[in-house]
Amino acid sequence: MHPIIRLVNRNITISVNPGFLIWQVIFPLIYIFVAGFAYTALIDNVPFGNKDLTYPAFLASGMIGFNIMNSTLVSGIIIWNDRRHGMFEQIMSGPFTRVHYILSNIATIAIIGLVSAGLIAAVGYPVFFESVEFSPVTIPLIIFSSITGAILFGSIASIISTRLRSSEGFNVIINTVFLFFAFVSTAFYPASGAPQPLATIFYLNPLTYLVDIIRAGIFGTITEFVILEMVILAVLASILFIIATRLLTKLDF
Amino acid sequence: MSCIEVHSLSKSYSSILAVDTIDLSVESGQVFGFLGPNGAGKSTVIKLLTTLIQPDSGQISVLGVNAIKEPLKIRKKIGVVLQQPSYEPTLSVEKSLEKYGMMWNVDKKTRQIRTEELLESFELTQIRKKKNEDLSIGQRRRVQVAREFMHDMDLLFLDEPTVGLDPSARRKLLDFLKNKVKDTGMTIFYTTHVLTEAEYLCDNIAIINNGKIITVDSPNELKNRFGNEKTIKIHVSEQFIQLPNLLKDIPDCNIEKSDGIIITIHSTNSEIVLMNILKILNQNNIPISDLSAMPTNLEEIFLKVVSDSDASNN
Repeated sequence: MHPIIRLVNRNITISVNPGFLIWQVIFPLIYIFVAGFAYTALIDNVPFGNKDLTYPAFLASGMIGFNIMNSTLVSGIIIWNDRRHGMFEQIMSGPFTRVHYILSNIATIAIIGLVSAGLIAAVGYPVFFESVEFSPVTIPLIIFSSITGAILFGSIASIISTRLRSSEGFNVIINTVFLFFAFVSTAFYPASGAPQPLATIFYLNPLTYLVDIIRAGIFGTITEFVILEMVILAVLASILFIIATRLLTKLDF
Repeated sequence: MSCIEVHSLSKSYSSILAVDTIDLSVESGQVFGFLGPNGAGKSTVIKLLTTLIQPDSGQISVLGVNAIKEPLKIRKKIGVVLQQPSYEPTLSVEKSLEKYGMMWNVDKKTRQIRTEELLESFELTQIRKKKNEDLSIGQRRRVQVAREFMHDMDLLFLDEPTVGLDPSARRKLLDFLKNKVKDTGMTIFYTTHVLTEAEYLCDNIAIINNGKIITVDSPNELKNRFGNEKTIKIHVSEQFIQLPNLLKDIPDCNIEKSDGIIITIHSTNSEIVLMNILKILNQNNIPISDLSAMPTNLEEIFLKVVSDSDASNN
Protein backbone atom coordinates (compact mmCIF):
# COMPACT_ATOMS: atom_id res chain seq x y z
CA MET A 1 0.00 0.00 0.00
CA HIS A 2 1.29 3.46 -0.88
CA PRO A 3 2.38 5.59 2.11
CA ILE A 4 -0.23 8.26 1.32
CA ILE A 5 -3.05 5.69 1.33
CA ARG A 6 -1.81 4.34 4.67
CA LEU A 7 -1.80 7.84 6.15
CA VAL A 8 -5.26 8.58 4.72
CA ASN A 9 -6.52 5.37 6.33
CA ARG A 10 -5.05 6.48 9.64
CA ASN A 11 -6.41 10.04 9.28
CA ILE A 12 -9.93 8.83 8.59
CA THR A 13 -9.80 6.37 11.51
CA ILE A 14 -8.78 9.05 14.00
CA SER A 15 -11.10 11.75 12.60
CA VAL A 16 -14.39 10.01 11.95
CA ASN A 17 -16.03 9.51 15.29
CA PRO A 18 -19.68 9.75 16.42
CA GLY A 19 -19.26 13.38 17.46
CA PHE A 20 -17.88 14.35 14.08
CA LEU A 21 -20.66 12.50 12.20
CA ILE A 22 -23.35 14.16 14.28
CA TRP A 23 -21.78 17.55 13.62
CA GLN A 24 -21.51 16.83 9.90
CA VAL A 25 -25.01 15.42 9.39
CA ILE A 26 -27.38 16.58 12.12
CA PHE A 27 -26.29 20.21 12.08
CA PRO A 28 -26.95 20.75 8.34
CA LEU A 29 -30.20 18.78 8.56
CA ILE A 30 -31.48 21.10 11.28
CA TYR A 31 -30.57 24.05 9.09
CA ILE A 32 -32.26 22.65 6.00
CA PHE A 33 -35.44 21.34 7.55
CA VAL A 34 -35.94 23.72 10.48
CA ALA A 35 -34.42 27.01 9.39
CA GLY A 36 -35.23 26.37 5.73
CA PHE A 37 -38.94 25.90 6.24
CA ALA A 38 -39.24 28.33 9.17
CA TYR A 39 -37.76 31.19 7.13
CA THR A 40 -39.99 30.43 4.15
CA ALA A 41 -42.59 32.67 5.75
CA LEU A 42 -40.11 35.57 5.72
CA ILE A 43 -38.14 34.90 2.53
CA ASP A 44 -39.90 34.67 -0.78
CA ASN A 45 -38.61 32.64 -3.64
CA VAL A 46 -34.97 33.38 -4.36
CA PRO A 47 -33.99 34.26 -7.94
CA PHE A 48 -30.96 32.28 -9.08
CA GLY A 49 -29.87 32.56 -12.72
CA ASN A 50 -32.97 32.06 -14.82
CA LYS A 51 -34.76 30.21 -11.99
CA ASP A 52 -36.83 30.99 -8.98
CA LEU A 53 -35.80 28.73 -6.10
CA THR A 54 -37.73 28.08 -2.91
CA TYR A 55 -35.76 29.17 0.16
CA PRO A 56 -35.35 25.57 1.42
CA ALA A 57 -33.95 24.57 -2.00
CA PHE A 58 -31.62 27.59 -1.95
CA LEU A 59 -30.48 26.80 1.60
CA ALA A 60 -30.06 23.05 1.03
CA SER A 61 -27.76 23.67 -1.95
CA GLY A 62 -25.83 26.24 0.12
CA MET A 63 -25.44 23.75 2.93
CA ILE A 64 -23.47 21.45 0.62
CA GLY A 65 -20.74 24.09 0.28
CA PHE A 66 -21.02 24.93 3.97
CA ASN A 67 -20.57 21.26 4.86
CA ILE A 68 -17.53 20.89 2.61
CA MET A 69 -15.97 23.86 4.36
CA ASN A 70 -16.81 22.46 7.80
CA SER A 71 -15.40 19.05 6.97
CA THR A 72 -12.05 20.60 6.10
CA LEU A 73 -11.66 21.61 9.73
CA VAL A 74 -10.53 18.00 10.04
CA SER A 75 -7.30 18.89 8.28
CA GLY A 76 -6.42 21.57 10.81
CA ILE A 77 -7.49 19.38 13.70
CA ILE A 78 -5.34 16.46 12.48
CA ILE A 79 -2.24 18.63 12.13
CA TRP A 80 -2.82 20.42 15.41
CA ASN A 81 -3.50 17.17 17.28
CA ASP A 82 -0.49 15.47 15.70
CA ARG A 83 1.74 18.27 16.89
CA ARG A 84 0.19 18.42 20.35
CA HIS A 85 0.29 14.65 20.92
CA GLY A 86 3.71 14.01 19.39
CA MET A 87 2.41 12.11 16.38
CA PHE A 88 3.79 14.54 13.80
CA GLU A 89 7.33 13.86 14.97
CA GLN A 90 6.60 10.14 15.29
CA ILE A 91 5.22 9.93 11.74
CA MET A 92 8.14 11.92 10.40
CA SER A 93 10.57 9.49 12.03
CA GLY A 94 8.84 6.64 10.19
CA PRO A 95 8.63 5.63 6.53
CA PHE A 96 6.99 8.89 5.42
CA THR A 97 8.04 12.25 4.03
CA ARG A 98 6.46 15.63 4.65
CA VAL A 99 5.04 15.50 1.14
CA HIS A 100 3.30 12.21 2.04
CA TYR A 101 1.91 13.85 5.16
CA ILE A 102 0.63 16.93 3.35
CA LEU A 103 -0.88 15.01 0.43
CA SER A 104 -2.54 12.52 2.79
CA ASN A 105 -4.20 15.42 4.59
CA ILE A 106 -5.44 16.88 1.32
CA ALA A 107 -6.71 13.45 0.20
CA THR A 108 -8.43 13.00 3.57
CA ILE A 109 -10.29 16.28 3.40
CA ALA A 110 -11.15 15.73 -0.27
CA ILE A 111 -12.70 12.36 0.64
CA ILE A 112 -14.50 13.70 3.70
CA GLY A 113 -15.60 16.78 1.74
CA LEU A 114 -17.01 14.70 -1.12
CA VAL A 115 -18.77 12.29 1.23
CA SER A 116 -20.21 15.20 3.19
CA ALA A 117 -21.36 16.89 -0.01
CA GLY A 118 -22.92 13.66 -1.25
CA LEU A 119 -24.63 13.09 2.08
CA ILE A 120 -26.18 16.56 2.21
CA ALA A 121 -27.09 16.35 -1.49
CA ALA A 122 -28.85 13.05 -0.85
CA VAL A 123 -30.64 14.29 2.25
CA GLY A 124 -31.49 17.66 0.72
CA TYR A 125 -32.63 16.20 -2.59
CA PRO A 126 -36.34 16.07 -1.62
CA VAL A 127 -36.11 19.79 -0.91
CA PHE A 128 -34.58 20.89 -4.21
CA PHE A 129 -35.45 18.04 -6.61
CA GLU A 130 -38.09 20.11 -8.46
CA SER A 131 -35.48 22.61 -9.68
CA VAL A 132 -32.59 20.19 -10.25
CA GLU A 133 -31.08 20.20 -13.72
CA PHE A 134 -28.12 17.81 -13.78
CA SER A 135 -26.18 17.30 -17.01
CA PRO A 136 -22.89 15.60 -17.99
CA VAL A 137 -21.24 19.00 -17.47
CA THR A 138 -22.73 19.90 -14.10
CA ILE A 139 -21.81 16.75 -12.16
CA PRO A 140 -18.03 16.99 -12.87
CA LEU A 141 -18.37 20.70 -12.09
CA ILE A 142 -19.79 19.91 -8.65
CA ILE A 143 -17.07 17.32 -7.98
CA PHE A 144 -14.34 19.71 -9.15
CA SER A 145 -15.60 22.54 -6.99
CA SER A 146 -16.04 20.23 -3.99
CA ILE A 147 -12.43 19.06 -4.21
CA THR A 148 -11.08 22.56 -4.94
CA GLY A 149 -13.11 23.96 -2.04
CA ALA A 150 -11.87 21.21 0.25
CA ILE A 151 -8.26 21.99 -0.68
CA LEU A 152 -8.81 25.72 -0.21
CA PHE A 153 -10.44 25.54 3.21
CA GLY A 154 -8.23 22.62 4.26
CA SER A 155 -5.20 24.77 3.46
CA ILE A 156 -6.58 27.63 5.56
CA ALA A 157 -7.18 25.24 8.48
CA SER A 158 -3.68 23.80 8.00
CA ILE A 159 -2.09 27.26 7.97
CA ILE A 160 -3.85 28.15 11.23
CA SER A 161 -2.86 24.84 12.82
CA THR A 162 0.82 25.34 11.97
CA ARG A 163 0.89 28.80 13.55
CA LEU A 164 -0.85 28.06 16.84
CA ARG A 165 0.10 25.69 19.64
CA SER A 166 -2.43 26.50 22.37
CA SER A 167 -5.82 24.80 22.15
CA GLU A 168 -7.61 28.02 23.14
CA GLY A 169 -5.85 30.01 20.44
CA PHE A 170 -6.48 27.35 17.81
CA ASN A 171 -10.19 27.04 18.66
CA VAL A 172 -10.83 30.77 18.85
CA ILE A 173 -9.05 31.60 15.60
CA ILE A 174 -10.42 28.71 13.57
CA ASN A 175 -13.99 29.23 14.80
CA THR A 176 -13.85 32.96 14.15
CA VAL A 177 -12.46 32.53 10.65
CA PHE A 178 -14.91 29.79 9.71
CA LEU A 179 -17.84 31.67 11.28
CA PHE A 180 -16.98 34.65 9.11
CA PHE A 181 -16.82 32.44 6.03
CA ALA A 182 -20.14 30.80 6.89
CA PHE A 183 -22.25 33.85 7.58
CA VAL A 184 -20.65 36.41 5.27
CA SER A 185 -21.40 34.31 2.22
CA THR A 186 -24.27 33.30 -0.01
CA ALA A 187 -24.63 29.94 1.75
CA PHE A 188 -27.62 31.07 3.84
CA TYR A 189 -28.99 34.05 1.91
CA PRO A 190 -28.62 35.61 -1.54
CA ALA A 191 -26.23 38.51 -2.05
CA SER A 192 -28.82 40.34 -4.12
CA GLY A 193 -30.99 41.23 -1.11
CA ALA A 194 -28.14 42.34 1.13
CA PRO A 195 -26.97 45.99 1.51
CA GLN A 196 -24.34 46.84 -1.11
CA PRO A 197 -21.28 46.91 1.20
CA LEU A 198 -22.23 43.53 2.65
CA ALA A 199 -22.93 42.08 -0.79
CA THR A 200 -19.45 43.22 -1.85
CA ILE A 201 -17.88 41.58 1.20
CA PHE A 202 -19.72 38.36 0.27
CA TYR A 203 -17.55 38.22 -2.84
CA LEU A 204 -14.34 38.55 -0.85
CA ASN A 205 -15.22 35.20 0.66
CA PRO A 206 -14.22 31.96 -1.09
CA LEU A 207 -17.24 30.12 0.35
CA THR A 208 -19.47 32.36 -1.77
CA TYR A 209 -17.68 31.15 -4.92
CA LEU A 210 -17.87 27.53 -3.82
CA VAL A 211 -21.59 27.77 -2.99
CA ASP A 212 -22.36 29.64 -6.24
CA ILE A 213 -20.59 26.97 -8.32
CA ILE A 214 -22.33 24.10 -6.52
CA ARG A 215 -25.72 25.80 -6.95
CA ALA A 216 -25.00 26.42 -10.61
CA GLY A 217 -24.10 22.75 -10.96
CA ILE A 218 -27.24 21.54 -9.21
CA PHE A 219 -29.67 23.90 -10.92
CA GLY A 220 -27.96 23.91 -14.32
CA THR A 221 -27.38 27.69 -14.47
CA ILE A 222 -23.76 27.85 -15.55
CA THR A 223 -22.87 31.36 -16.67
CA GLU A 224 -19.65 33.16 -17.57
CA PHE A 225 -19.58 34.57 -14.05
CA VAL A 226 -19.69 31.04 -12.59
CA ILE A 227 -16.74 30.07 -14.79
CA LEU A 228 -14.89 33.15 -13.50
CA GLU A 229 -15.72 32.07 -9.95
CA MET A 230 -14.27 28.61 -10.72
CA VAL A 231 -11.03 30.19 -11.92
CA ILE A 232 -10.82 32.41 -8.82
CA LEU A 233 -11.53 29.43 -6.55
CA ALA A 234 -8.86 27.31 -8.26
CA VAL A 235 -6.26 30.11 -8.12
CA LEU A 236 -6.99 30.82 -4.44
CA ALA A 237 -6.87 27.12 -3.60
CA SER A 238 -3.49 26.77 -5.35
CA ILE A 239 -1.99 29.79 -3.57
CA LEU A 240 -3.22 28.71 -0.15
CA PHE A 241 -2.12 25.12 -0.75
CA ILE A 242 1.40 26.31 -1.60
CA ILE A 243 1.51 28.46 1.55
CA ALA A 244 0.22 25.59 3.72
CA THR A 245 2.75 23.20 2.20
CA ARG A 246 5.62 25.62 2.79
CA LEU A 247 4.61 26.17 6.41
CA LEU A 248 4.25 22.43 7.01
CA THR A 249 7.61 21.79 5.39
CA LYS A 250 9.23 24.31 7.71
CA LEU A 251 7.69 22.95 10.90
CA ASP A 252 10.52 22.04 13.23
CA PHE A 253 10.66 19.46 15.99
CA MET B 1 30.04 -4.38 11.35
CA SER B 2 29.20 -0.77 12.14
CA CYS B 3 25.55 0.11 12.42
CA ILE B 4 26.06 3.81 13.06
CA GLU B 5 29.07 5.85 11.94
CA VAL B 6 29.30 9.51 12.77
CA HIS B 7 32.18 11.85 11.88
CA SER B 8 32.68 15.48 12.98
CA LEU B 9 28.96 15.95 13.55
CA SER B 10 27.80 19.40 14.65
CA LYS B 11 24.42 20.99 15.18
CA SER B 12 23.53 24.34 16.70
CA TYR B 13 20.28 26.10 17.53
CA SER B 14 20.60 29.88 17.19
CA SER B 15 23.78 30.58 19.16
CA ILE B 16 23.74 27.35 21.20
CA LEU B 17 26.05 24.58 20.05
CA ALA B 18 23.99 21.47 20.90
CA VAL B 19 26.32 18.92 19.28
CA ASP B 20 29.99 19.77 18.95
CA THR B 21 32.01 17.85 16.30
CA ILE B 22 31.34 14.38 17.67
CA ASP B 23 32.61 11.06 16.33
CA LEU B 24 30.77 7.87 17.14
CA SER B 25 30.73 4.28 16.02
CA VAL B 26 28.12 1.73 17.10
CA GLU B 27 28.56 -1.95 16.30
CA SER B 28 25.57 -4.03 15.12
CA GLY B 29 23.74 -6.40 17.43
CA GLN B 30 24.36 -4.57 20.69
CA VAL B 31 22.60 -2.26 23.08
CA PHE B 32 24.44 1.03 22.98
CA GLY B 33 23.81 3.34 25.92
CA PHE B 34 23.92 7.07 25.43
CA LEU B 35 24.17 8.92 28.72
CA GLY B 36 24.41 12.55 29.65
CA PRO B 37 22.91 15.18 31.93
CA ASN B 38 19.87 17.24 30.90
CA GLY B 39 20.63 19.43 27.90
CA ALA B 40 23.84 17.54 27.11
CA GLY B 41 22.75 16.94 23.49
CA LYS B 42 21.38 13.38 23.70
CA SER B 43 18.01 14.07 22.08
CA THR B 44 19.61 16.26 19.40
CA VAL B 45 21.95 13.39 18.48
CA ILE B 46 18.94 11.02 18.29
CA LYS B 47 17.08 13.48 16.07
CA LEU B 48 20.12 13.72 13.81
CA LEU B 49 20.57 9.95 13.63
CA THR B 50 16.87 9.37 12.94
CA THR B 51 17.04 12.05 10.20
CA LEU B 52 14.40 14.23 11.87
CA ILE B 53 16.81 17.17 11.65
CA GLN B 54 19.78 17.90 9.43
CA PRO B 55 23.28 18.59 10.81
CA ASP B 56 25.17 21.84 10.27
CA SER B 57 28.25 19.81 9.35
CA GLY B 58 29.67 16.31 9.51
CA GLN B 59 28.71 12.90 8.18
CA ILE B 60 26.20 10.34 9.40
CA SER B 61 25.89 6.81 8.15
CA VAL B 62 23.12 4.64 9.59
CA LEU B 63 22.85 0.98 8.51
CA GLY B 64 25.28 1.78 5.74
CA VAL B 65 23.10 4.56 4.31
CA ASN B 66 24.06 8.23 4.13
CA ALA B 67 21.57 10.00 6.44
CA ILE B 68 21.88 13.34 4.71
CA LYS B 69 21.34 12.04 1.18
CA GLU B 70 18.83 9.22 1.76
CA PRO B 71 16.93 9.87 4.99
CA LEU B 72 13.78 7.97 3.94
CA LYS B 73 15.78 4.83 3.20
CA ILE B 74 17.03 4.90 6.80
CA ARG B 75 13.63 5.64 8.32
CA LYS B 76 12.20 2.56 6.61
CA LYS B 77 14.65 0.36 8.52
CA ILE B 78 14.61 1.89 11.99
CA GLY B 79 12.22 2.21 14.90
CA VAL B 80 12.04 5.30 17.07
CA VAL B 81 10.58 5.85 20.51
CA LEU B 82 11.06 9.52 21.18
CA GLN B 83 11.37 11.12 24.58
CA GLN B 84 8.09 13.00 24.30
CA PRO B 85 4.85 11.03 24.50
CA SER B 86 3.16 10.31 21.17
CA TYR B 87 -0.29 8.83 20.89
CA GLU B 88 -3.66 9.05 19.15
CA PRO B 89 -5.97 10.18 21.97
CA THR B 90 -9.19 8.75 20.54
CA LEU B 91 -7.87 5.28 19.66
CA SER B 92 -8.00 2.31 22.00
CA VAL B 93 -4.78 0.54 22.99
CA GLU B 94 -5.29 -2.38 20.61
CA LYS B 95 -6.42 -0.11 17.78
CA SER B 96 -3.28 2.02 18.30
CA LEU B 97 -1.07 -1.03 17.85
CA GLU B 98 -3.07 -2.28 14.89
CA LYS B 99 -3.12 1.09 13.09
CA TYR B 100 0.57 1.65 13.74
CA GLY B 101 1.31 -1.70 12.12
CA MET B 102 -0.87 -0.69 9.17
CA MET B 103 1.08 2.58 8.84
CA TRP B 104 4.24 0.48 8.57
CA ASN B 105 2.63 -1.66 5.85
CA VAL B 106 2.57 -4.81 7.98
CA ASP B 107 0.05 -7.29 6.58
CA LYS B 108 -3.21 -7.78 8.43
CA LYS B 109 -2.55 -11.30 9.69
CA THR B 110 0.89 -10.38 11.07
CA ARG B 111 -0.65 -7.29 12.66
CA GLN B 112 -3.22 -9.38 14.49
CA ILE B 113 -0.60 -11.83 15.76
CA ARG B 114 1.82 -9.10 16.86
CA THR B 115 -0.93 -7.07 18.52
CA GLU B 116 -1.86 -10.05 20.71
CA GLU B 117 1.80 -10.83 21.49
CA LEU B 118 2.61 -7.25 22.44
CA LEU B 119 -0.54 -6.79 24.51
CA GLU B 120 0.62 -9.83 26.45
CA SER B 121 4.32 -8.91 26.69
CA PHE B 122 3.65 -5.35 27.83
CA GLU B 123 0.77 -6.36 30.14
CA LEU B 124 -1.74 -4.30 28.22
CA THR B 125 -4.41 -6.99 27.82
CA GLN B 126 -6.55 -5.65 30.67
CA ILE B 127 -6.64 -2.17 29.17
CA ARG B 128 -6.78 -3.14 25.48
CA LYS B 129 -10.16 -1.43 24.97
CA LYS B 130 -9.24 1.71 26.89
CA LYS B 131 -8.65 4.88 24.90
CA ASN B 132 -5.17 6.37 25.00
CA GLU B 133 -6.49 9.63 26.45
CA ASP B 134 -7.79 7.69 29.47
CA LEU B 135 -4.49 5.93 30.26
CA SER B 136 -1.98 6.84 32.95
CA ILE B 137 1.42 8.21 31.89
CA GLY B 138 3.10 4.85 32.51
CA GLN B 139 0.45 2.90 30.58
CA ARG B 140 0.70 5.31 27.68
CA ARG B 141 4.48 4.95 27.67
CA ARG B 142 4.13 1.17 27.54
CA VAL B 143 1.81 1.46 24.54
CA GLN B 144 4.26 3.83 22.87
CA VAL B 145 7.15 1.40 23.27
CA ALA B 146 5.06 -1.72 22.43
CA ARG B 147 3.76 -0.05 19.27
CA GLU B 148 7.27 0.20 17.85
CA PHE B 149 7.60 -3.58 17.84
CA MET B 150 4.64 -3.91 15.43
CA HIS B 151 7.09 -3.53 12.56
CA ASP B 152 10.42 -5.14 11.70
CA MET B 153 13.56 -3.08 12.07
CA ASP B 154 17.33 -3.41 12.18
CA LEU B 155 17.93 -0.55 14.57
CA LEU B 156 15.79 0.87 17.36
CA PHE B 157 16.26 4.26 19.01
CA LEU B 158 14.87 4.49 22.52
CA ASP B 159 15.00 7.93 24.11
CA GLU B 160 14.40 7.48 27.84
CA PRO B 161 11.75 4.78 27.33
CA THR B 162 11.29 3.94 31.00
CA VAL B 163 10.18 7.41 32.11
CA GLY B 164 6.93 7.01 34.05
CA LEU B 165 7.22 3.22 34.41
CA ASP B 166 7.06 1.50 37.78
CA PRO B 167 10.06 -0.68 38.78
CA SER B 168 8.35 -3.91 37.74
CA ALA B 169 7.33 -2.60 34.31
CA ARG B 170 10.81 -1.13 33.90
CA ARG B 171 12.52 -4.44 34.59
CA LYS B 172 10.12 -6.28 32.24
CA LEU B 173 10.85 -3.80 29.47
CA LEU B 174 14.61 -4.17 29.93
CA ASP B 175 14.32 -7.96 29.80
CA PHE B 176 12.09 -7.73 26.73
CA LEU B 177 14.71 -5.56 25.01
CA LYS B 178 17.55 -7.89 26.00
CA ASN B 179 15.69 -10.86 24.55
CA LYS B 180 14.85 -8.99 21.35
CA VAL B 181 18.52 -8.21 20.75
CA LYS B 182 19.44 -11.82 21.46
CA ASP B 183 16.67 -13.28 19.24
CA THR B 184 16.78 -10.90 16.29
CA GLY B 185 20.31 -9.47 16.32
CA MET B 186 18.91 -5.97 16.15
CA THR B 187 20.79 -2.95 17.52
CA ILE B 188 19.38 -0.65 20.17
CA PHE B 189 20.50 2.91 20.75
CA TYR B 190 19.36 3.68 24.27
CA THR B 191 19.34 6.88 26.28
CA THR B 192 18.47 7.01 29.95
CA HIS B 193 19.04 8.88 33.18
CA VAL B 194 18.72 5.71 35.23
CA LEU B 195 22.28 4.44 35.28
CA THR B 196 21.45 1.09 36.80
CA GLU B 197 19.39 0.49 33.64
CA ALA B 198 22.36 1.28 31.44
CA GLU B 199 24.55 -1.00 33.54
CA TYR B 200 22.00 -3.82 33.29
CA LEU B 201 21.22 -3.46 29.59
CA CYS B 202 24.05 -1.90 27.65
CA ASP B 203 27.05 -3.54 26.01
CA ASN B 204 28.71 -0.19 25.46
CA ILE B 205 28.13 3.27 26.83
CA ALA B 206 28.94 6.75 25.58
CA ILE B 207 28.79 9.74 27.89
CA ILE B 208 28.00 13.11 26.36
CA ASN B 209 28.27 16.49 28.04
CA ASN B 210 27.95 19.99 26.59
CA GLY B 211 27.52 18.49 23.13
CA LYS B 212 30.79 16.54 23.26
CA ILE B 213 31.31 12.83 23.74
CA ILE B 214 33.57 12.44 26.74
CA THR B 215 34.10 8.70 26.73
CA VAL B 216 32.88 5.47 25.08
CA ASP B 217 33.42 2.03 26.61
CA SER B 218 31.74 -1.02 28.10
CA PRO B 219 30.32 -0.58 31.63
CA ASN B 220 33.05 -2.84 33.05
CA GLU B 221 35.85 -0.98 31.29
CA LEU B 222 34.43 2.33 32.47
CA LYS B 223 34.53 0.99 36.01
CA ASN B 224 38.12 -0.16 35.54
CA ARG B 225 39.16 3.17 34.07
CA PHE B 226 37.30 5.56 36.34
CA GLY B 227 36.21 3.42 39.25
CA ASN B 228 39.48 2.45 40.95
CA GLU B 229 38.35 4.13 44.13
CA LYS B 230 35.92 2.78 46.70
CA THR B 231 33.28 4.50 48.74
CA ILE B 232 33.62 3.97 52.50
CA LYS B 233 30.64 4.71 54.72
CA ILE B 234 30.96 4.79 58.51
CA HIS B 235 27.98 5.08 60.82
CA VAL B 236 28.92 5.94 64.42
CA SER B 237 26.59 5.28 67.38
CA GLU B 238 26.31 8.89 68.55
CA GLN B 239 26.94 12.25 66.95
CA PHE B 240 30.62 13.29 66.93
CA ILE B 241 31.05 16.62 65.15
CA GLN B 242 34.87 16.51 65.30
CA LEU B 243 34.98 13.26 63.30
CA PRO B 244 36.13 14.79 59.98
CA ASN B 245 38.92 16.65 61.77
CA LEU B 246 40.19 13.40 63.29
CA LEU B 247 40.32 11.68 59.88
CA LYS B 248 41.51 14.51 57.67
CA ASP B 249 45.22 13.70 58.00
CA ILE B 250 44.92 10.11 56.77
CA PRO B 251 46.56 9.93 53.33
CA ASP B 252 44.21 9.35 50.32
CA CYS B 253 41.16 9.83 52.53
CA ASN B 254 38.76 12.17 50.69
CA ILE B 255 35.85 13.05 52.93
CA GLU B 256 32.77 13.67 50.78
CA LYS B 257 30.29 14.48 53.53
CA SER B 258 29.74 14.13 57.25
CA ASP B 259 26.91 15.03 59.60
CA GLY B 260 28.73 13.75 62.68
CA ILE B 261 26.92 10.38 62.56
CA ILE B 262 27.46 9.18 58.99
CA ILE B 263 30.66 10.00 57.15
CA THR B 264 31.25 9.18 53.47
CA ILE B 265 34.83 8.83 52.22
CA HIS B 266 36.33 8.09 48.78
CA SER B 267 39.71 6.43 48.51
CA THR B 268 41.82 4.58 45.96
CA ASN B 269 43.62 2.84 48.78
CA SER B 270 40.59 1.76 50.76
CA GLU B 271 42.10 -1.13 52.79
CA ILE B 272 44.83 0.98 54.38
CA VAL B 273 42.54 3.98 54.84
CA LEU B 274 40.00 1.75 56.54
CA MET B 275 42.62 0.37 58.93
CA ASN B 276 43.71 3.90 59.85
CA ILE B 277 40.14 5.02 60.41
CA LEU B 278 39.40 2.08 62.73
CA LYS B 279 42.57 2.81 64.66
CA ILE B 280 41.62 6.48 65.19
CA LEU B 281 38.04 5.65 66.16
CA ASN B 282 39.32 3.10 68.66
CA GLN B 283 41.82 5.54 70.19
CA ASN B 284 39.01 8.10 70.67
CA ASN B 285 36.52 5.54 72.02
CA ILE B 286 34.02 6.21 69.27
CA PRO B 287 31.74 3.18 68.86
CA ILE B 288 30.81 2.14 65.29
CA SER B 289 27.29 0.89 64.51
CA ASP B 290 27.84 0.16 60.78
CA LEU B 291 30.66 0.21 58.26
CA SER B 292 30.83 -0.53 54.50
CA ALA B 293 33.28 -0.26 51.61
CA MET B 294 31.57 -0.32 48.21
CA PRO B 295 33.10 -0.41 44.73
CA THR B 296 32.22 2.66 42.65
CA ASN B 297 29.07 2.20 40.60
CA LEU B 298 28.26 3.59 37.19
CA GLU B 299 26.32 6.46 38.65
CA GLU B 300 29.37 7.70 40.53
CA ILE B 301 31.52 7.26 37.44
CA PHE B 302 28.96 9.22 35.44
CA LEU B 303 28.96 12.06 37.97
CA LYS B 304 32.75 12.08 38.09
CA VAL B 305 33.18 12.08 34.32
CA VAL B 306 30.59 14.83 33.85
CA SER B 307 32.00 17.02 36.65
CA ASP B 308 35.56 16.55 35.34
CA SER B 309 34.33 17.56 31.90
CA ASP B 310 32.53 20.63 33.30
CA ALA B 311 35.67 21.58 35.24
CA SER B 312 37.90 21.31 32.17
CA ASN B 313 35.43 23.42 30.16
CA ASN B 314 35.46 26.12 32.81
